[in-house]
Amino acid sequence: MSARDRWLSRERLQGAGLDAALPYLLLAPSILVTLIVLVYPLWDGIRASTQFYRYGKALRDVGLENYARLWDDPQFLNSLWVTLRFVTASVAIETVLGLALALFCLHEFRGIKLLRTVLIVPMVITPVVVAIVFRLIYASDAGMLTAFSEALGGGPVQILGEPTRAFVGLVALDVWEWTPLMFLIMLAGLQSLPVEPFEAARVDGAGPWRVFIDHTLPMLRPVIAIAIVLRTIDAFGTFDQVFVLTRGGPGEATRLLSVLGYDTAFKFQQTGYAAALFLTMGLIILALALAAVRMLRRAGES
Amino acid sequence: MKTRDLLQRRLNRRKLLKTSARLAIGSTLAVSLAAPPIVRAAGGKVIIGAFVDGGLTPFKQKIIPLAKSEAGFDIEFLEDEYGVTLEKWFADAQNNAGQYDMYLLDDPWVPQFGAADVLEDLGAGGIDASDPDWIASLIAMGYWPPRQGPRVKGFESADSKLVALPFVGDLQTLTYRNDVYTDGPPATWDDLIAKGKEGVAAGKIKYPIVFRGVSGNPIVTSWYPIFLSFGGQFFDDKWNVAFNSDAGKKAADYFVGTLKQNAPPGVVEFDSDQEGAAILGGDAGAIIQYSGNALKADDPKQTKVAGKLDFGVVPKQEKAIAQIGIFIASVPKSAPNKANTIEFLKWYVSPATQAKLAEAGSIPVRRSAFAVPKPGNRLIPVALKQLDSGAEPRPRTPDWAKVEELLGIELNKALQAGSGGAEALDAAAGKVTSYLKDAGYYK
Repeated sequence: MSARDRWLSRERLQGAGLDAALPYLLLAPSILVTLIVLVYPLWDGIRASTQFYRYGKALRDVGLENYARLWDDPQFLNSLWVTLRFVTASVAIETVLGLALALFCLHEFRGIKLLRTVLIVPMVITPVVVAIVFRLIYASDAGMLTAFSEALGGGPVQILGEPTRAFVGLVALDVWEWTPLMFLIMLAGLQSLPVEPFEAARVDGAGPWRVFIDHTLPMLRPVIAIAIVLRTIDAFGTFDQVFVLTRGGPGEATRLLSVLGYDTAFKFQQTGYAAALFLTMGLIILALALAAVRMLRRAGES
Repeated sequence: MKTRDLLQRRLNRRKLLKTSARLAIGSTLAVSLAAPPIVRAAGGKVIIGAFVDGGLTPFKQKIIPLAKSEAGFDIEFLEDEYGVTLEKWFADAQNNAGQYDMYLLDDPWVPQFGAADVLEDLGAGGIDASDPDWIASLIAMGYWPPRQGPRVKGFESADSKLVALPFVGDLQTLTYRNDVYTDGPPATWDDLIAKGKEGVAAGKIKYPIVFRGVSGNPIVTSWYPIFLSFGGQFFDDKWNVAFNSDAGKKAADYFVGTLKQNAPPGVVEFDSDQEGAAILGGDAGAIIQYSGNALKADDPKQTKVAGKLDFGVVPKQEKAIAQIGIFIASVPKSAPNKANTIEFLKWYVSPATQAKLAEAGSIPVRRSAFAVPKPGNRLIPVALKQLDSGAEPRPRTPDWAKVEELLGIELNKALQAGSGGAEALDAAAGKVTSYLKDAGYYK
């Protein structure tokens, strides 16, 4: 083989190698970014969850002890229960209200465009601002509800100082802020439904309620399921509103997992325990999301 | 020709990739080399982090300008809401972020920062803590590990270092309505309630007392002087929980029962803004508080009852004893202007500057400064009286925030119910003991 042939052969091989490597080279930057911003923090979180921290430093490896401790910790169990109740109540009410509003706004009448716009305003306001406003409404000394009650001859209205009312007050805040999201998703779903089945049902003499039960609801089920999954995941991570409104009180009545995790990590500096708490919370959300996806798939098949 | 074209194309692509890589590396290097190095502030610059509190108003208004005009310090004063500063500063110090030269800590945070070894040794920096002009109870709070009292595990035999310096003195005192308590400050808690009820009956006030009921730090801070005045002790010298003693339980029952009945109906949700509004708005007859709202007592723009608020030593059951809670300055190891900051602190804690702080209206940290002929606030001599009468800091443990949280939740629940203070203390004692056991406090 001549020198030129050897050179050509080497170049050919290098060219082929380059061709094979090119997709990976092009993908490399995004893979690198993903590793840095997603995989490394997750790995670091998992690693931290197996460490015992004191004074902001990891002192020793404790394996899965932090995870085991969670299930003996009354504060964690209380926060898990509060979070589950909060998510269930909020998402259920938001789903029903969102669907009702979407059905109402499906009709075309004068001012409907303005109404649709106004209805989505709450969800574009910063959650912290919403929480401050609700605090000003609920405050028993100078809040709007108390002022209203006193104007009618009543006494101060106590919301934030009583466990059940504080919890209901927090749910009300979440419903006010996030029903618009459910409304928006449901409205888009309703507008995408085919009109023929509805026309046929009407021709057959079905009333609005029958049409809703037999046609609208079954056809809208996948959309409703998506909306519920999205809101559930989001509601699990609720932090700003409760942090500003109640800081988890009174007592521990509104102490969601996110607030407990925040306090554990940053206020009490138990980094390892907090990491275990947040990873457990993530697994719970993942399990719920998988269950919902399975439900979605079944709905699609039926 | 075809092969040559193909080769040419491959070569071009390879060249392109090589060139791109060279360009990327080259441009990154060029940018990093060409970029100006991070310029650390020079001259007299000092970046101070503080939480928002009325107790720092005289410092901000009078001393910062004085530091510029008299000593050439250029102070950058960064304020945050109380609830976020601890975690923000701790992260700054731990990660060597270097965003601050000085933190104005709430004093119970000193053990947390001290144990994490993120603060400069101010004694080694040349600050003299042995001067007898320092108020002993205040300067003692700047040491980690503490020079007196029990030490946490791991620090039993460590040398005490001065990691924080008292900056603005503060402690709980009584603020009362002089048109209700016409004979001067009530001497006992029972006097406070009895006279307060007369004031309510006369239509002068709506409630004899107001305090903070929010769980965690607020409710524990409000309960603490009552607990101390009933003769309570928080821990023994081996960190065993002692707050659920008979004295502690009596104090808790008195707090959630008698005091709640004589406070505004929504006191369970009250924090400093609501309790401040109640006393400055003229609704409440008395309050135990730090200086933040007390400093507003003579300003008609900030109170409806200017001239009707006086100060006194806290009422007693067994002793008239209050909680100390000072602003305490610390310098993180990551401070960008460390030398300036140490010089600023030397200037600031000098008797001459402290005298000016007292004239501006803040409680000084040097005894000599209490003797200024014209203190800027009527509270200042009362604060000295309270210091001499009895005042205690919170226990010096890095786990105080968690302890306060656990106790605060139980006290808040009892306050909601209006009874069961003793049971709340027992419940909290169990939780605190369990937590401290897990944290390695006991063998």
